[in-house]
Amino acid sequence: MPSLNKRFIAELLGTFILVFFGAGAAAITLMISAGGNPTTPFNIGIGLLGGLGDWLAIGLAFGLAICAAIYALGRISGAHINPAVTIALWSVKKFPGKEVAPYIAAQIIGASLASLSFAAAVGMDAVTLGGLGATAPFPGIGYGQAILVEGIGTFLLMITIMGVAVDRKATPGFAGLVIGLTVAGIITTLGNITGSSLNPARTFGPYLGDMLLGGSNLWAFYPIYLIGPIVGAIAAAFLYNYLSSEN
Amino acid sequence: MKCYICAQEGKDTDALAICIVCGMGLCQDHLIRQEVDVWEGGYPFPAEKLEKTVPRILCGFCYHSLKGRE
Ligand SMILES: [Zn+2]
Ligand SMILES: [Zn+2]
Repeated sequence: MPSLNKRFIAELLGTFILVFFGAGAAAITLMISAGGNPTTPFNIGIGLLGGLGDWLAIGLAFGLAICAAIYALGRISGAHINPAVTIALWSVKKFPGKEVAPYIAAQIIGASLASLSFAAAVGMDAVTLGGLGATAPFPGIGYGQAILVEGIGTFLLMITIMGVAVDRKATPGFAGLVIGLTVAGIITTLGNITGSSLNPARTFGPYLGDMLLGGSNLWAFYPIYLIGPIVGAIAAAFLYNYLSSEN
Repeated sequence: MKCYICAQEGKDTDALAICIVCGMGLCQDHLIRQEVDVWEGGYPFPAEKLEKTVPRILCGFCYHSLKGRE
């Protein structure tokens, strides 16, 4: 097995890919639609150009980035690129406890570097108009509802990871593709409710970038993207273990 | 079964193994044994090379044909 150092770099890089391309696509969409007049308050700009197609495009940017990270780095670190996935695998004894903290640190650092690099590459409009693709509950969505949505979304992601990749009886080779497309589908539906983060690191990077670069301070919403994904992923891991047990 | 290569040289040696690619019978002198690494894991786990290897018996012809790809 590659050393923890190498796996740390792989997780960092994988999460960088996810946040740079995925959250970047959300920021770019907001920049393109800036100045337009949405017909409902539920529309913050994503959806102004192509309706749900905007969210499908953002979802696919995430999904394809996840495909790339899984196929490029999956055999090095496992390419969790998501603290909720690492914690859920640990909760069902599939991942060593002493490596949870270094993996999460790598994911948080990778996500933060991605947001800062995106701002450096695109300029301040990415922060002021695009919010670096940060997630926040949409108008009319309550705190509890948002946690529920993130929980359900991450539950669906994690049950797919369990069935497609963790279970060695599954067809090998397709995991990266299926999991990337699963995220694209979840984001298409849940994007306009909570931003569909499904991933505490994915929300951390843009939040940090926005704070450091003078954008919005959204940290009050961070518990949504911490509690929802972690609880959803752990529930999925336990449910899958129960469903696939011999008795 | 007899060794194919020995038979071509006019000798009558018993085969100990069979080439996995072409099926040729081979004696101790004419077989080539390779050790193939076995990997476990892969997404969402790191891949890990297992301690034990799997043997693979080839004849000289197949060994040299395949070697170009390794
Ligand atoms: Zn022989
Ligand atoms: Zn042969």
